Amino acid sequence: MKREVGHIDTFKYFLLPFCLFVFGLFALMLAVYFSASIPIFQHEGLKIYTTNVWRASENPNKEFYGVLAAIYGSVYTSVLAVLIALPLSISFAVFVIDYAPKKIKEPLIVATDVMAGLPTIIYGIWGAFVLVPILKKYVMDPLYAHLSFIPLFSFKPVTGYSYLSAGVLLGIMVTPFASAIIREAYRSLPFMYREAIYSLGATRYEATKILVKEIKPAIVAGLLLAFGRAIGETVAVSLVIGNTFNISPSLFAPGYTISSLIANQFGNAFIYKYMVSALFAAGLSLFFIGLAVNILGILILRRYGHAR
Amino acid sequence: MQGSLRLRLFKEKLFLLSIAVLTIATVLPLFHIMFSIMIQGIPVLIKGGWGFLTGTLAPPGGGLGGIGPAIVGTFILTFLASLIGLPVAIFTGIYAAEYPNSLIGRATKTLLMVMMEFPTILVGLFVMDLVVLPMGSYSAIAGALSLAIVMMPYVAVYTDEALRNIPPKYREGAFSLGLTRAKVVFRVLVGLAKKGIMTGVLIGIAKVAGETAPLLFTAGGASRVYFDGLNRPVGAIPLLIYNLVQQPYTNYHEIAWGASLLLMIIFLALFLPIRLSLKEVKL
Amino acid sequence: MKKALLLVVLLAAVAICGCAQNKAQNKVTPTTTTSTQVVLIGDGATFPWPQITNWINIYMKEHPNVKIEYNGGGSGKGQADFAAGVVDFAGSDPPLKKNLWDRLVNNPPAEGKGPLQFPDIIGAVVVCYNVPGVKQLRLDGKTLADIFMGKIKYWDNEEIKKLNPGVNLPHKEIIVIHRSDASGTTDIFTTYLCLVSPEWNSTIGAGKVVNWPVDKMGRGVGGKGNPGVVAELKNTPYSICYTELSYAIKENLKIVALKNKDGYFVLPNATTIKAAASHVSMYIAPPTAGYKENLRQLLNAPGKDSYPIVAFSHLLVWKHYSDPVKDKAVHAFIKWILTQGQNDKYIVPGYVGLPKSITQKVLQEAGI
Repeated sequence: MKREVGHIDTFKYFLLPFCLFVFGLFALMLAVYFSASIPIFQHEGLKIYTTNVWRASENPNKEFYGVLAAIYGSVYTSVLAVLIALPLSISFAVFVIDYAPKKIKEPLIVATDVMAGLPTIIYGIWGAFVLVPILKKYVMDPLYAHLSFIPLFSFKPVTGYSYLSAGVLLGIMVTPFASAIIREAYRSLPFMYREAIYSLGATRYEATKILVKEIKPAIVAGLLLAFGRAIGETVAVSLVIGNTFNISPSLFAPGYTISSLIANQFGNAFIYKYMVSALFAAGLSLFFIGLAVNILGILILRRYGHAR
Repeated sequence: MQGSLRLRLFKEKLFLLSIAVLTIATVLPLFHIMFSIMIQGIPVLIKGGWGFLTGTLAPPGGGLGGIGPAIVGTFILTFLASLIGLPVAIFTGIYAAEYPNSLIGRATKTLLMVMMEFPTILVGLFVMDLVVLPMGSYSAIAGALSLAIVMMPYVAVYTDEALRNIPPKYREGAFSLGLTRAKVVFRVLVGLAKKGIMTGVLIGIAKVAGETAPLLFTAGGASRVYFDGLNRPVGAIPLLIYNLVQQPYTNYHEIAWGASLLLMIIFLALFLPIRLSLKEVKL
Repeated sequence: MKKALLLVVLLAAVAICGCAQNKAQNKVTPTTTTSTQVVLIGDGATFPWPQITNWINIYMKEHPNVKIEYNGGGSGKGQADFAAGVVDFAGSDPPLKKNLWDRLVNNPPAEGKGPLQFPDIIGAVVVCYNVPGVKQLRLDGKTLADIFMGKIKYWDNEEIKKLNPGVNLPHKEIIVIHRSDASGTTDIFTTYLCLVSPEWNSTIGAGKVVNWPVDKMGRGVGGKGNPGVVAELKNTPYSICYTELSYAIKENLKIVALKNKDGYFVLPNATTIKAAASHVSMYIAPPTAGYKENLRQLLNAPGKDSYPIVAFSHLLVWKHYSDPVKDKAVHAFIKWILTQGQNDKYIVPGYVGLPKSITQKVLQEAGI
């Protein structure tokens, strides 16, 4: 290494290229997605995002793509996942920090960490072969049989591949992420708070209610990041969502998500003039949804002082 | 008053019960998954024996064969991804830790965290466009590049935090010896943060060894050919499972379960020792 | 530590350069293949996938120095990957369309030039159903089209009952399973539906991907590749799908007897497929002008025994590969498929080999 002379920080200039490389890579990625999306915008404008059509044709004039069903499915399944993760992750955090016997505390946390890192394809095979049949038999079929007048349950469960299956699987997958953030925030609440609340004669339920309110921003951030993970997940979802261009309010209907649309269609897109571009445009929307949600989550965490 | 106290105590009990139940519900899937995979996978590994690890894919409806090319591919991809990703990640992490208040330093940290949460399928598509098409082949190098991009933020963030957690007195002491910044960082600080950095490296490796989405349009997949050069397609265990699950053949489903068991073992073997040696991890 | 890090950087740099170099060299001479070992990569149609896999296994046993991969990514992926040069050969059921053919001729990838397309096998698209309790089912073209269009909603619809007197059909919704990827099987099937149903022809049309109206009615399910479709059918009671005959045989699916042009109900098998092929004068376009071939020629063939949805599946290769070792290896494999490969003992149940007149013509015109 060169000897440092004066104020010139050679070390900084040695490291800087690596940083810039990472930035460059990210910028390049954005540029690739933008430029690859241009043809479809020229072809049909923003209709790519506002219609639900998938018309491939060797004749470019007849080609038309609208990925609304996929965007809808992505948002729908991720919202379901977050709704499932919300009670689970908060309960888990509270239980582990305040109530779990010492012996099982650590194993519980290790278990969720394993869940967070487990290869997603393992969730996928389990989801497709184990979870979906269980959900169909014990949740979808009975609900449809008795409550099909409610729009949410109005779709006859056919294969079991549905928004619900994807939402539940995603919920299971993202709960550990949300709970890690919430746990961290909950743990770092000043001890004095707890002391003070209990000294007022509060029950544990009442105390927890107050304490959980204190970490609201962390909960919001945790759920936002969980949403970001859910919307970006590909293989596990594509194995249980049904891969159908469908927009339905019913939980039991099959659908598509942006990432599973890309996974399914990109391989054969090159024979058509606009399909590649349409898929990049779909990717671009995922890019921005993911970016917005994640940045928001990270900012809330920073502001609140729980930066990971 | 008596009634309201009873109500409060009842609420208290209900509350404790429900969070205990929800906690169990959080981790129950993990045990169900591990249990299912072992029940389905162990017989396959026993029946397939050594050949399951070394052989090539059986024809549909024709026995188990082996997943050798996928195993070889996963090791090649993971190794190459580390080779490409680790240097960039570690140096970037050092930068973020050393210049935490500079504009670039702060922006780097934010970018890394954003990349950590980023949909991995988008990385795969990007590399397909950038590498596979110009090169004219799905390839080990394209797959590895995808994985390297996925791995980078994990390793960088760990490096950054490991360095930040070193008490300032070491840094001050090192500087007071008249060492240059580079020497302070590489000889003193990196040494002290070795464990933290290694953790990041191992977490990154464990993460990418199980990734599927970034490989979909980059690695190409292989089930009969073990290795044919860096510029040619390779297999990967997660990719193979993804393809086999979508087949109707019973024997392919069995192979998928066996491969899943193997993947789970690889993941746990990498992950558990790290996790158990630490207080917490970030994923 | 510093040295270790530097070493890692150096290694990475070497690896990256090495690859770049490797790639550059590959354009001139092969580095990854020696004269003894060659690897060929193919992708495409799942319609002939069981057959091609069988050929590959036999061929690799006879030629231990050749390793071949064929991934069933669908005809669309096969065509796409072949055009991009990322595979060495591709399988596609429908002949290429003119505009893609022109792209291959005028803008070939660096890997090869001069596209060649020729049939390698004859197969049948069969309609399978999963209706508990129903052992046999007969349909005609129009009813079939109405089912796949969503106009017929229940299994006990009058139209179906009329064709199946005495069969106890349940009052259950029909679930239509179709392909989710760009598929040659879909192209063949929808082309047939266009021939037998004017309404299908005018509202939906034919292609590798069509806009399935049943999806929007919530009664459509997509499966990836023929294997995916079959997997869905097995899991879904009261469903119907289309797939290649060999899948139906292997998975023991229940097959619909279809009414042919002459008004007879026929089940698909080697005899009825051969009958269809023998009743039309087959025109095989020269391999150097593959787009000229007509997918429709074997469909809805006349003759008492002819099964109505019969088609060729095609292979795509380059006349000239930039890698001479590959050039030799691919052409040898192709020759083998068109000669020994057509031998009955190598043909998987569910397919029919090509007549010798065709294979000879193809080999001669291809000049390989």
